[in-house]
Parts: sequence; C-alpha cells; structure tokens
Amino acid sequence: MRCEEARRLFDAYLDGELSPAMETELGAHRLRCPDCRRALALLEVTGHILESDEDPVLLNDGFSDRLLACMDERRSRWTHRVRRGLYIAGPLAAAAVVVMAFLGSFDRQVGVRAGQEATWSSLDGGMPLIEDAVGNPVPEVDDPTTQELDQWGRQFLDRLDTKRRSGESLQRALDGRILDLIDVLEQAEVSSGVQEGDSPADDVSEASSPHAGAVPDSGSE
Amino acid sequence: MTQSTGTVSREYERQLIGRARSGDRGAVRELVDNHKDRLFAFIWRMIRNHHDAEEICQDAFLKAFASLDTFSVEYRFSTWLFTIGYRVCLNRMRSKRTQGTDVDVLTLPLANNDNSAASLESEDAGRLKDTVWHAVDRLTPVQRATVLLFYRQEFSCQEIARVLELPVATVKSHLHRARKRLRELLESLSDQELHHLRNLSGQVG
Repeated sequence: MRCEEARRLFDAYLDGELSPAMETELGAHRLRCPDCRRALALLEVTGHILESDEDPVLLNDGFSDRLLACMDERRSRWTHRVRRGLYIAGPLAAAAVVVMAFLGSFDRQVGVRAGQEATWSSLDGGMPLIEDAVGNPVPEVDDPTTQELDQWGRQFLDRLDTKRRSGESLQRALDGRILDLIDVLEQAEVSSGVQEGDSPADDVSEASSPHAGAVPDSGSE
Repeated sequence: MTQSTGTVSREYERQLIGRARSGDRGAVRELVDNHKDRLFAFIWRMIRNHHDAEEICQDAFLKAFASLDTFSVEYRFSTWLFTIGYRVCLNRMRSKRTQGTDVDVLTLPLANNDNSAASLESEDAGRLKDTVWHAVDRLTPVQRATVLLFYRQEFSCQEIARVLELPVATVKSHLHRARKRLRELLESLSDQELHHLRNLSGQVG
C-alpha cells in the first residue's frame, strides 16, 4: 500500500468503518511508514483531546430560572398583544362592515355592476339618492361608535360630492376614500397603542368598549 | 464527556415534550436542565464568548419552545435544539464577526477549580491542549461545527447532517477536510509533544 492510498483510508479508519482486511493492511503500512504513522497518530490524539477535554467554562447559575422567567414574560407580552389586537380589531371590523355595507348600498343605488367602473353618470338621481339610501333610516342611537361611523359616512358623502364637483372620476374618488380609510385605521391602531399605556391590565376592562381612536374624524355631532 | 441526556430515554423525552406542549412548566424546566450544558458548551466552542454564548443559548431555547408544536418526535430533541442553536449562532457570527477573537476564558469560572497538586495539570499540558483548541478555532464555522458535534456531542454523521441541514455526504466531506486542516495546523508539534498529548488524552500506545 502506498502513502496516498493509506491516507485516503484515514477517515474510514478513524470512524471504524474499515473492513478487517483493510485495517490490517493499513496497520502494516503504518508500521513501515513513519510519516503516515505520525499523521495518523496526530489525528487520533487530536480526536481524543476533543472528546475528553473538559470545557473550561460553565453556564452561569440560574440560567434555567432566567429562561423560564423570560418565557413567562414573552407569553404575557403575547397575551397582551392579542388582547390589544382584539381591542383594536373589534371596532375596526365593525367600521369595515359598516363601510362595506354603505358601499354596497351605494353600488345598488347607482346601478354599478361588479367589474364595471363607477361613473358619475351612473348616479342618475344624483347624490340625494345616496343620502336617501344612507341618511334617511338612520335611527337615533346612543352608541358612540355607531354615531361616529355615521358621522364618518356623512363626511364621506360630502367629500364624494366635492370630488364630483372637482371633476375627479368616481372610481378614483372611491379608491381614494378606501386609502383614506386604511390610513385612518392605521392611525387608530397607533393612537390605541398610545392610549393603552404600559399596563397590561388596562385593556381588560376596555376590551369590550369602543374607543374614539378607531373612528376617523371624530368630533362633535 | 458528561451527557445528561444520555440517561433520559427517548420515550421519557417524548413524554416530557408532550407535557411541555401542554404548558407543563416542570417538563419545560426538565428539558432545559437536560440540554442546557451541552448546548452552551457547543455554542461557546463555536463563538468563544461567554456572554454571547449564553444569549444564543437562551435564544435557542426560546425559539425551540415557541415552536415546539412543529417538532417531530421521531428525531431527538437535542438534534432539533442544536439545529436552532447552530442557526442562531451563525447569524450572530455573521452580524458580529466574532470568530474566536474575544476569548474571555480567563475571567470565567473554570470547570475544574481544584488546585491541588494531584489534579493540577502542568502548564505544558494546558498549552498543548490549547494548541489543539486553537487549531479547531481556525477551522471554518461549518467545519468547526462538524468537528464539535462529531467528537464532543458524539452525533452521527446523519444527525450532524440534520443539525447543519446538509447532505450526509457533505458532512463527511467537511469532517475529512477539517481533519486534514487540523493535521496541517498541528504538524509543527514535535514527537515529544505528540507523545505528551497522547498521555494527556489517556490513549495507550
């Protein structure tokens, strides 16, 4: 066996994967060749040191306690986030439903079909029709969220009318309002986060009650 | 090598994981206690910084328990934990580029604090061992991880492949190259030093 062949077998030898016959052959070469003998000895010794040497450092005491405390804190923070999410998402979902219902009603009134672009000419009867559809049957309610949403709806109509007068397309005006709504929802989330403060317990009582930050342009009615 | 998990059967480990999944704090603690020292030792050997190693270790456990539901019990928990630990470690090394540079060993508690003459190794012995470990530090991260997992954690090539997320053949190739590199780096040791190292490792012959 030549040195090159012998050295190709080193890994298999160290991993105990050599057949007995090959191991005997490598052993014989090892006895004859001082270079290979030294090279193999170096690998064996290195392997033994790596396996048996003690680690000079230890994990600091109390690691498990700190880790479990950290887990508890994260869990608590996560629960807090979920609560806050519900706290924000509840009113926002209600707002979205009202807006979608409003737009659906609007589409029916103006005769815009799905897939078609809404145009001002499709209004036929004009804005009063929309106001009839949305404005007339509004019952008197005490719920602040509903009142604020109603106010937002009225402002929406006003702005739509302004857009119409300025000559902007109806589709663009609608798209713009949807983007406005997204901005408003994001702002509501931010203001809710500020309002909520640092106390995780704060949101428990507030979770079921609406808050002003979720509704755009809230003001006096 | 002390391996606390060596005494924990796979079946018992499965039970622990099941309990940990259902929020049993005691089971979580037991899993942490069973694996923390081995994981920390591996990470410390990879990154050579005590503070970073402890942070990575904690991060790895947090990630592991946060996604415990995705763990498949057909594998060993340690394999999965080391996979996460290795990934976190690599990310930290990439971001901080602290590959073996800030050695803070001297300021840390030693595993063996017994200073009696009988147990105290000679300076020569310590220096020789350091030479070996410094050679390991000079391997590439993936070669170092392969060597550490193979020799210190006694992982099979299949398990190392899972941890490093590489094919088994690639792991064998890394191991081969790592050994070759170590041989080159330690080539300058004299025969006497080699003999001394052999005695230190308890190897006969």
